Parts: sequence; C-alpha cells; structure tokens
Amino acid sequence: MAAQIVIAPLLVALVTAILTLLLRRFPRAQRAVSLAGALGYAVCVALLAAAVANQSILVYQLSGWRAPFGITLVADALSTFMLVLTAVVSLAAAVFSAGYISEYGQQLSYHTLYHLLVVGVTGSFLTGDIFNLFVWFEVMLLSSYVLVVFYSGPEHTRAALQYTILNLLGSAVMLLAIGGLYSTTGTLNMADMARRLANPAAFGIDPVPVLGLAGLLFAVFALKAGIVPFQFWVPAAYRAAPAPVSAMLAGVTKKVGIYAIIRLYFTVFAAASLPTGLSLPGFSGSSFLAFFGPIMFAMAAASIVLGGVGAVSRTDLDGVLAYSSIGQIGFVVLPLAIAATVPDVRELGIAAALVYALNHGLAKSMLFLASGTVREAVGSVRFEYLGGLARRTPVLSVGFFLGALTLIGIPPLSGFFGKLLVFQTAADAGAVGGQGATLALALALGGAILTVAYFSRAWNEGFWGTQSEAVRTATYSPTLVAVVVALAAALVVVGVGFDPVLRAANAAANAAVDRGTYVENVLPGVSP
Amino acid sequence: MTQFVLAGVLGLLFTIGTFLVLRRDIVRVVWGVTIIAQAANVYLVTMGGLSGTVPIVGHGPPANPGSVTDPLVQALVLTAIVIGFGTTAFALVLTYRVYEEHGTIDLDELGETGGEV
Repeated sequence: MAAQIVIAPLLVALVTAILTLLLRRFPRAQRAVSLAGALGYAVCVALLAAAVANQSILVYQLSGWRAPFGITLVADALSTFMLVLTAVVSLAAAVFSAGYISEYGQQLSYHTLYHLLVVGVTGSFLTGDIFNLFVWFEVMLLSSYVLVVFYSGPEHTRAALQYTILNLLGSAVMLLAIGGLYSTTGTLNMADMARRLANPAAFGIDPVPVLGLAGLLFAVFALKAGIVPFQFWVPAAYRAAPAPVSAMLAGVTKKVGIYAIIRLYFTVFAAASLPTGLSLPGFSGSSFLAFFGPIMFAMAAASIVLGGVGAVSRTDLDGVLAYSSIGQIGFVVLPLAIAATVPDVRELGIAAALVYALNHGLAKSMLFLASGTVREAVGSVRFEYLGGLARRTPVLSVGFFLGALTLIGIPPLSGFFGKLLVFQTAADAGAVGGQGATLALALALGGAILTVAYFSRAWNEGFWGTQSEAVRTATYSPTLVAVVVALAAALVVVGVGFDPVLRAANAAANAAVDRGTYVENVLPGVSP
Repeated sequence: MTQFVLAGVLGLLFTIGTFLVLRRDIVRVVWGVTIIAQAANVYLVTMGGLSGTVPIVGHGPPANPGSVTDPLVQALVLTAIVIGFGTTAFALVLTYRVYEEHGTIDLDELGETGGEV
C-alpha cells in the first residue's frame, strides 16, 4: 500500500503540466495551478523521503507487472536525496518564473513545459529500468529544447540548434548502447542486470562487449552532465535560456547525468569483473569501476581547469556562472573518480559527490536567479553596463555574495562541507596508497583558487565600483529578490544544520553501493 | 546471410548519417541526425534475433521458445520511433526559425552573424 507514494511526485507534476495546458485562457488560474503543483510536488517528495527514511527502499511495480518483466520504479536513499534537491530548486524557480516570464509567454506554454521538465527529471531519478531511463531522458530533453529557445531571438535559436542537435545524437548513441546491453545481458531491468553481471558465466554473458557498451553509455551521461570533453553546449544554452530555466538546467538536470553515473556504474556495472588484460595500464583492480575511475578522473580534472579558466575571462554574469558550472561539475565527478579507483573510500567519495552536488544545485540555481533579477531590472548582465549593485540593492547582493562564498567553500555555508568532504576523500585515498590522490588534492586546491578568482572578478565588476546609470535607475522586483533570499537562507540552513544532510548523503552512498539490498527488493525471491 | 546484409546496411546508414551531420547546411544536418536515429532503430531490431518466427500466439510452428523472435525490441523501437518523430518535427521547425532570425541556414555564416546574448 505504502509503495504507491513512489509514483506520487511523478503524477503530481504530470497532472500539473496537463492542467496548465487546459487553463491557457485563464492566466491567473493557470499560474495558481502551476505554483500549487510545484508545492504539491515538494510535499509528495517530502512524504516519499520520510517513507524511504523509514523503510530504506520502496519498490513500485507499474500495473502490477513484476520485475524484470514490467517497468519498476525504485525509491531509495539515493533517489530521494536527488528528488529533495529537485523539489527545493523547482519550487523556487516556479515562484521566480511567475514573476519573471512575460504574461504572454506564461500563458502560451511556459508552465506546461516547465512541469514536463520536472516530470522527466523525476522519472529519471525513480526508474529501475534502463530503457525507461531513456524515455524519461527524452521527456526531460524535449521540454528543455523548447525552454532553451523560449525567447526565439537570433542567439537563442543558435544556442538551441546546437543544444538540440547534440542531444539528438546523444539519444541515438544511448539507444545503441541500451540495445547492445539488452542483447548481451538479456535484460533491461537494472537490478536484474546487476544480478546477471555478478555471475556472467551462469547467464552466458561475455563481459568484453558489456564494457564497451557501458563506455558508450558513459559518454551520453557525460554529455548530459556537461563534463569536459562534452561541455561545449553548456555556456550558450545556459545564457540563452530564461533565468529560472538556467537555474533548473544547472541545478537539477545536470545532476541527472551524475545520478545516472552513480546508479548505473556504482550499483549495476560495478557487479561485473573486468576481463583480464583490459585494465588500463598502470592501474589494478578487477571491477568495471577500476576501468572507469581513471577516465572520470581525467574528465573531472579537465572540467575543473577549463571551467575555472573560462569563467575568469567572461564579460557577463551569465557567462561566468555557465563556465563555473563546468568547473563545479568537475568537483562533483572528482570524488566519484577517486571512489571508483580506491574501493576503501567508495562510500565516502559518493557521499562527497552528493553533498557537493546538493550544494552546487542550490547555490548555482540561486546565482542564476540573482542574475535573472538583475537582467529583469537593468536589462543586461554584461559587466560594462553593471557596477555598484551592492549599494543599489544590498539584499540581492548579499544573496549573490552568499552564493559565491558557498561555491568558494567558506564555513559555515553548505559549500564548506562539500569541499571538505572532497579533500577528505582525496586525503583518505592517499592514506591507503590510492593512485593520483596527491594530484586530486592539488587539482581541488587549484580549482578552489580559480573559483575565488572568478567570483572576486564578478563581484568587483558587477557589485562594487561606481553605479552605472542603468543600475541606478532600475527597479528591482521584490518578489524575485525574495526568492533569491529564500534560496540563500537555504544555503545557510544546510551549512549550519549540516548533520542531517550528511546522514542523508551517507545513507544515499550506502544505497548506491549496496547492490544486494537493491536486487533483493526489486526482485523478491531471486537470489542476488 | 541476412546478418551480413543488415550489418552492411547499418554501416552504410551510419556513414551517410555522419556525412550529412558534418555538412554546413542545417537541413542536411537534421537529415543526418534523423538517419542516425533510424540506423539506431534498425540496429535495435536486429538485437532481437533474425532467424525466429513471428512472435504471435497461435501463429508459426508449435511452441518452442527458442524459435520465436524477441518481440520486446520491436516494442522498444516503436517507442523510439515516436520520440524520433517528435524531435525531428521540432528540429525542422527550429531550422525554419533559425532561418527567420538569421536569414541563412549555412552554419559558417551563422557562426559569423551571431552576437552575445
């Protein structure tokens, strides 16, 4: 009976999307339904998180078709951790949208697309079936294509074209990988796949093609997460999209790629052992993870450096934030890479990545909303038109400042603990003789210094200095500023009351590596 | 024999698709993406096995599970085709919109005309 709560967030978001489409003639009612839907979604996620905290894992078999034959929805600590982040960011961005997007745009399609985006994200976090994951990705992407091109100006259509073509190719590659995995392992259910991969001889599975197909799939997830070398769509798309959509893209949909990497590689593919002679030169370890660890490490390192250096030289606020997203996602992948390579720190590494993802999700969406507030008031976010915002609108500036501080990693904000856990993962890996731990420490330190550099520059150019005419005469919407302040307060709350967050992250990391429990619950009565 | 023909066809489809994606003309790029997506669908169908009989109860030879083609991949392909239909339609509309905004669908010229947001 209690398992029905698993599908509740999905249904709430879907019904909201449909209702907002039907209520197009009644803009006030449409907006009210949209906000009520975002609130209802948050309530459902809270109920689900409470239920999962009680029972550790909830499984819902759609239409009563038992796994592995039907589609299964699985909510465990990892899924709910990501869903809580989604609920907070999507509620804030929905309120922001109501005051930010033009009346006509809202009436036309905005609310429907926005909630369909939430549907896609939620489905991706909950599904236990790899083809179903593809479908939810498409739901999420289709709405994001339209949202990126929402303003339809010259630069928006150009950015959307790039974003759409790249992701269409990504979808084709994902389909290829999934088809191949089905053919080699004989199943699409994640739990069933993990069970079969753990015992390949019994099911006649050849691990070599599985490794190649897993690599193909990895490229798709890296594209979604915007990790170097798949980052090139990020700056244009984030700048073109309306501010609340950028907040959702950077805060939530990027994390879908990270979630998929954790779920599939640490829960499912980790079960398989590497064929002899296929481990990367200089690395030992028999799990698939030992193969992907060094690759993730190189990609994370490149992201941190490229994102940081790129952000320092931008001439507009949105550009700094977009490049910063590339760098910060590197900080999320770095502990994952260490966790994959060094089994001793696996849970710690995943927990570090999750805490960092939560911190980045809250902070970056808040910064994009702050940037949107400035754009709405001043008309531009290019540094040449800005200056002196701190004196003109101190409350908004404090919000931006807190967001910058948390990404830099100043206590007691949430970002401090994210950075601390990343450093701790690297240090612990070094203590047990893990390869590359010193390099990881150096990278994290260098990345942190770059973060200080680009945020200092953004602050100096935009918020200090002499007030420009545009900044002085602009009026700053109190509603939008209030949303930014609410998210900034969330950053402080997460930082000050960090203990429950850490416990949730540890539970999520535990759920990610505890394959036995996952398989037993999805496939009751089958030996894992 | 069928395997070799289909493998050749798949290779050809991916080649044509890749060639078109690398063109300067956006419409050709969209066709290229469509062909690659269709090639992925054909590939998916071949994953169900090629030698079996129709997977319909009551048809074909008496029940022998090994002799029936896997119907699941065909269901998957139907889903993928529907999604591909929607995305292709959107990509074409987007192409038209790009033409309206920039007055060109040549990617090189597009790179030169665009300014900052």
